Amino acid sequence: MNGSQMQEMCLRLVEMGKKRGACDADAVAVCDTSESISVRHGQIESVEREDGRGIGLRAFIEQKNGLAFATASTSDLSDDGLNRLVEQVMTMARISAVDPDAAPPSGADHPEHIDDIDTQADIWSREAAQEAALVCEQAALSFSEDITNSEGAEAGFGTSEIAYASADGFAGGYAKSTAGLGVSVIAGTGSGMQRDYEFDRSHSVQGLRDPKALGQKAAERACRRLGAASITSRKATVVFEPRVAISLLGHLSSAINGRSVIQQRSFLAKHSGQIIFPEWVNIADDPDHPVGLGNRPFDGEGTRTNARTIIEAGRLTGFLTDRYAAGRLGIENTGHARRGLAGDISIGPNNLIWQPGQISVEDMLAEIGDGLLVTEMMGFGVNGVTGDYSRGATGFLIEGGRITKPVQEITIAGNLSDMFASVAAAADDLTWFGTRAAPSIAIANMTIAGQ
Amino acid sequence: MPSSTKSPIESPIEQSTLARMLETMVPAGADDADLYLQHSESESISLEEGMVKHVSASTHQGIGARVIKGEVSGHAFTDRFETPALMEAARAARAIAEGANSLSPVAVHDTQQTRTLYQPKNPAEAASMPARREMLERLDGLARSIDPRVKQVFASVASSFSNIHIVRMDGAHIHDARPLVRLNISVVVEQDGRRETGSAGGGGRFGLDRMLKGEEAERLTREAVRLALLNLEAIEAPAGPMPVVLGPGWPGILLHEAIGHGLEGDFNRKGTSAFSGKIGEQVATRSVTVVDDGTMPERRGSLNVDDEGTETQRTVLIEDGVLTGYLQDRQNARLMGMEATGNGRRESYAHAVLPRMTNTFMLAGEDRPEDILASLDRGLYAVNFAGGQVDITSGKFVFTTSEAYLVENGKIKAPVKGATLIGNGPDVLTRISMIGNDLQLDPGVGTCGKEGQSVPVGVGLPTIKVDEIIVGGTQA
Repeated sequence: MNGSQMQEMCLRLVEMGKKRGACDADAVAVCDTSESISVRHGQIESVEREDGRGIGLRAFIEQKNGLAFATASTSDLSDDGLNRLVEQVMTMARISAVDPDAAPPSGADHPEHIDDIDTQADIWSREAAQEAALVCEQAALSFSEDITNSEGAEAGFGTSEIAYASADGFAGGYAKSTAGLGVSVIAGTGSGMQRDYEFDRSHSVQGLRDPKALGQKAAERACRRLGAASITSRKATVVFEPRVAISLLGHLSSAINGRSVIQQRSFLAKHSGQIIFPEWVNIADDPDHPVGLGNRPFDGEGTRTNARTIIEAGRLTGFLTDRYAAGRLGIENTGHARRGLAGDISIGPNNLIWQPGQISVEDMLAEIGDGLLVTEMMGFGVNGVTGDYSRGATGFLIEGGRITKPVQEITIAGNLSDMFASVAAAADDLTWFGTRAAPSIAIANMTIAGQ
Repeated sequence: MPSSTKSPIESPIEQSTLARMLETMVPAGADDADLYLQHSESESISLEEGMVKHVSASTHQGIGARVIKGEVSGHAFTDRFETPALMEAARAARAIAEGANSLSPVAVHDTQQTRTLYQPKNPAEAASMPARREMLERLDGLARSIDPRVKQVFASVASSFSNIHIVRMDGAHIHDARPLVRLNISVVVEQDGRRETGSAGGGGRFGLDRMLKGEEAERLTREAVRLALLNLEAIEAPAGPMPVVLGPGWPGILLHEAIGHGLEGDFNRKGTSAFSGKIGEQVATRSVTVVDDGTMPERRGSLNVDDEGTETQRTVLIEDGVLTGYLQDRQNARLMGMEATGNGRRESYAHAVLPRMTNTFMLAGEDRPEDILASLDRGLYAVNFAGGQVDITSGKFVFTTSEAYLVENGKIKAPVKGATLIGNGPDVLTRISMIGNDLQLDPGVGTCGKEGQSVPVGVGLPTIKVDEIIVGGTQA
């Protein structure tokens, strides 16, 4: 099914809903194809091919005191499947409660024109992907004698078409492509074994990092963890490497999600317009970025997306909203509705970017003197309501401004409000991980628990 | 249930078409191959601000084709059931092998399943949508009536019903119909400007009527409110190594993270687990016995057959402190010269099979729980946990408390804020000094993630004392 057929199917589904009594409706269709290959110890381990499609309908009905709605999706795109879907949504909408603030999709601020945001010129052939995975793993395995085992390398390529239509006649769509390459290897033996990995994702195969360099980096990471041990408990500055610093962006975007704010489930619910970071911190959301994988011309309700500064000179500019949250909070709709096939509509960012600083990582460590560099974190010990934070960590001790020894079996803890206010530095090493980018970030005065 | 009363298996794709797929996809010399056909229906309704305003449903079907030769596997997943698309998938799955096809024709034939650990019925049919809505509204009222500090109530009830068809290389067609339900309650409380949250949940493989009729829903609601109010009093958690007493039930997540994953066949075949090659070694105190049991009726982690059609079983992982077994799917078992243990699982037709846990728990010991707590001079009593995670290779694992108390001289002093505990899998069980006589299983809330795939699991634990583990609070 091509993009325009998908849009037509969405329009048809919306019409079917209206015929059965919906006063407003919107539909989304997704069509994915992907292929991947994994190799281990120089041999093919697995080949995967997937194609999947689905369509979802959200229908509003008028009841005595207002509007109620329901959502359903199916992967059965036959006429029977679509009829059943509409029947199901209408039945469910009738038992759903009226929400006086319901925000049906018609009349959203739709984009006037949609450019092709990703071209799909360069499909990765299986042979080329296999070659990249083999080169990547070989580079990791031959990096050092300390590399003792491999969890394999994987290369994949996929495309995704998304279509949307609403009852006001808007129909639009866009396509995305993603190439990915990653490898994971093990250094050391027995109880001293350490694993580490490296991966990259991009719109295109050309955008991926060099397979050999990627493999070497994974091996270097695994090797430098050898001999890791716990340290004594202390308060110290913690440096988050880019690949873990992006988790801080995740905690921030959850906390400024308009729905969490309405639900009083965010520690930042009362902080709109306030300074929550040092004044040199800037964080942006960009729906049209040359590198980010979260690009989209309109959100899950057909509202046009716009670039937005989320943290401007340390100040929280506002919350992320969809039509409903904007209405409830009495603020502008920022066009951050997210809509998958299954489940309900939600709110989320497009591409989040923590703007880098001016200094190199080395200079940053030198300035810090003593502290901890975190390279991997474990667990889910973050409370979004209070901001309380406690996670397992792995990394390196920083002594006298330099990395001295590998550390494991420790936790780092604090409260996100304090941690945001205590950001001490950002380095110049901005690194992208799909839909998020961050530099190395230093946070002062965290509690490290260890032996 | 006598098998003679069962009707022929009804499959969304005709058996003759499935046979043609197998004939197309199985190359000469293949070790294994199968088709995994899934049709799932799920429904969810949720309440917030006193209103059931989110109602959703989904219907998902698809087929996964898989061919295995030695360590190599080929997979194709599609949700298009037209014959050309199915044959294309069959050809894609065989792409790992060059050369001729296996020439023998396949006759797909029903295999009667004798086990009935759960009713093969859609759990949603047991309770109407209005009845579900009414229940959530009642629980909302209950939570608010318990304490005026309750400001927000979130309640949801979800159900799914998956019809699974597994067709093996020899044509054996195995069917399993799996119900699953889940109720969640979460509240936000506020006092003097401080906001805290508490949540509780439960479920299993049974009809939704069970959730609606019994007292479990009310109990979970009271539990969520109790936890939230407790958190209003919580002080900063301590930081550093200390003895920890784990309460019974859900704290069994310790076993899941500390040793369960490390005993999955794939990591051990590849030699990447901290437990690789440790079978027969003493890895725990002598009184510790840990099992994985997929055969417990109606439990969230149970299955009649795993996702390769192997009957689930009770596998002893640690017996009297000695490591005795791995969790195996067919491919890893074959490559390691062992038996499949009924632990081959996949999130859906569009995912690869991996060795996974079912219900993992420690058998009860002889200590009285109150004696265990009384023996704690200064440490943590952790009763409830949020999620956990493990690094298989280094053996380091974490799990995060959601209800824990500071204990001094055997007496509970104060509740503490959520803190992550970190330990080392291969030696944490050697630090268990007391085991309670109060084994409990979790209420049916576990979801395990591995390689991006989520599957429902169960855990269980009696009260135990771990002599030392690092507690990740903020009070260094």
